[in-house]
Amino acid sequence: MSVDLAAAREPLALRADACVIGSGGGGAVAAAELARGGLDVVVLEQGPHWTRRDFTQREDEMLPRLFEEAGMRRTEDGSITVLQGRNVGGSTVHNLCYAFRTPDPILALWREEHGLPSLTAEALAPSFERVERMLKVKPIREDEVNALNRIVRAGAEKLGYSGFVTKHNREGCVQSGYCILGCSYDAKQSMLVTYVPEAERLGARLYANARVETVETDGGAPRARVRAVAGRAAGPGGRPGVPFRVEARIVVLAAGAVASPEILRRSGIGRGAGQVGAHLHLHPSVMAAGFFEEPIHAYRGIPQSYYVDEFIDLERDPRAGYVLMPIAGFPVLTAAQLPGFGREHFRFMQRFAHMAGLLALLHDQSEGSVQPGDAPGRPRIRYALDPRDAAQLAEGLLHCVEVLLAGGAYEVLVPYARDPLVVRPGDDLARILRRGVAQSGPNAIPLASTHPQSTCRMGRDPRTSVVGELGECHDVAGLFVADMSVFPTSLGAPPQITTAALADRTAHHILERRAELAA
Amino acid sequence: MRGTRAPLTRRSFLALAGGSAALAALARSAPLAALACDPDAEPPPAPPGARFFAPDEADVLAAVVDRIAETGRADAPRARETGAIEAIDRLCLALDPGLTRPLPALLRLVDWGPWLFDGAFARFRELPPEAQDASLRGWMESRFALRRQGFEALKGLAFYGWYAQPASWRLVGYAGPLLRAPGPP
Repeated sequence: MSVDLAAAREPLALRADACVIGSGGGGAVAAAELARGGLDVVVLEQGPHWTRRDFTQREDEMLPRLFEEAGMRRTEDGSITVLQGRNVGGSTVHNLCYAFRTPDPILALWREEHGLPSLTAEALAPSFERVERMLKVKPIREDEVNALNRIVRAGAEKLGYSGFVTKHNREGCVQSGYCILGCSYDAKQSMLVTYVPEAERLGARLYANARVETVETDGGAPRARVRAVAGRAAGPGGRPGVPFRVEARIVVLAAGAVASPEILRRSGIGRGAGQVGAHLHLHPSVMAAGFFEEPIHAYRGIPQSYYVDEFIDLERDPRAGYVLMPIAGFPVLTAAQLPGFGREHFRFMQRFAHMAGLLALLHDQSEGSVQPGDAPGRPRIRYALDPRDAAQLAEGLLHCVEVLLAGGAYEVLVPYARDPLVVRPGDDLARILRRGVAQSGPNAIPLASTHPQSTCRMGRDPRTSVVGELGECHDVAGLFVADMSVFPTSLGAPPQITTAALADRTAHHILERRAELAA
Repeated sequence: MRGTRAPLTRRSFLALAGGSAALAALARSAPLAALACDPDAEPPPAPPGARFFAPDEADVLAAVVDRIAETGRADAPRARETGAIEAIDRLCLALDPGLTRPLPALLRLVDWGPWLFDGAFARFRELPPEAQDASLRGWMESRFALRRQGFEALKGLAFYGWYAQPASWRLVGYAGPLLRAPGPP
């Protein structure tokens, strides 16, 4: 079990072969593989270490426990909600378990345009296989497809749209539906129940509530060497606690695509090229809500099992497209997405049990940035859709409405903040394209992101990237990045397996170079 | 938490809900300045049993939650009759103070909003329900981005408090958690 630094009274000083910052989809994998390779590993996680006993299935308790800013983190203009985990296991504790390998055309794009020749499906296969075995990835059975996903499937099939039942990483799922609030049954094979305990079993030391503020180097030229990691315990309410410092010759930064660049910038790393924190992609999504005569109880069962890929063809164009994904929420999360307040809002909310959500998730080319804010852990996230992406997302929204109507909805709500649109069968859907998702400026309609990425991107050229092909920082020897921030472009698919596989690959590369790195 | 009250500064508001400079000047105006204390003071850790909101602020919050979560149903309880206000208070105590610091000032601004924005000679809490809705609508549809974002912050908190309560679940047909006790051994 982890050490809770929030309870520490004295400053902490540690030494280790390797220090891993973050215990989510990248960090936990790196920690376990490095420990398996015989390294003495310290893992620093900024959030608490919850277990299934803490997962109460109540939104008022779980949102503050599992999400940055209780799920209310937003981009600087308030237009996009950015959902990220802040706990041991990171976002894998609340994610919905889509399990996809990196699409081949995306790997080709990364090889050809970012100078990363070793990123082939064949070269990554051992990492994919190890990760999928550990996470128990398997196809979702037909009898596990819930009412929400059956509706979306029926609508898509009626329209002739391509889609399929996906793979997931659950074992012994009881189909409670509370995946997003943490699995009370340990059926979700998140990092919390797979790689984190494996790392601890192999001797890794895990510190929770340990917020890293800086990575220290020896300041050497032309290339510095990493020396240590420093930060403070996260006390109650995020208040700073005792300081800590971990000396290590190997540091793996895996704090996520928002916190990782924030830490690098606070450390003065990568300033010259201006690449740290740049190129932010969000996979922004927009949703529509369909209403059905019969109760659906969309929140019960596996939330996402069907996946509509009609509108993304990465072979033809690896830089465009969007996918449609069913989405269900519990009352707090659902209410936050619906327009207006009072009776107008309740007009929709009272049909909660009859509601089916469908979102369009964009393979975005728009680029934003992450910059440090006024204190550690308060990043400034800037992002705006470019006109092409805004048009694509509006088109995706139209198809969400179309699929829900084809699936039997008697009306569909498009939740514009002002003058929400209610569409019924036979209505002109082109109105959605005319109103768009950003024509009237930010906050025209709720947008969300669960996949921030690309803020410390991989590449051969230090002038246009932060880390090299195997995750090592161009500017600092021994400092590796192993989370979604290394993606050279938007991934265009759910990122869980790609993140884990790249972290696995980086960890094995470190082990091959352990003697050199330790010298 | 008592004794540390901050104004609705631009930076702190950005942390809350994003924003623009438009309302920053308004936030620094005399009425708000009179409501605030040192903007940069880091509040001390909350002692056990502490409340984030002062009683007066909690009254405004309850009035806001009652209107934002209004259902029109006679059998719906008021926010004070559920645990909604306490749930919001607990959340604000648990969050990064940099995020929550502007909330008391925002509530005071909402309470004085009818005076400041609508020319009414009454505070929000003193208005009849229809006028309260009109005042909130003024925030929601304001041409100032920061006022709109202030409304969104309050809406998020109101629904967080209200729809986390079992009393609200029966109104929307939510069956509630499957677990009635901590997770299985």
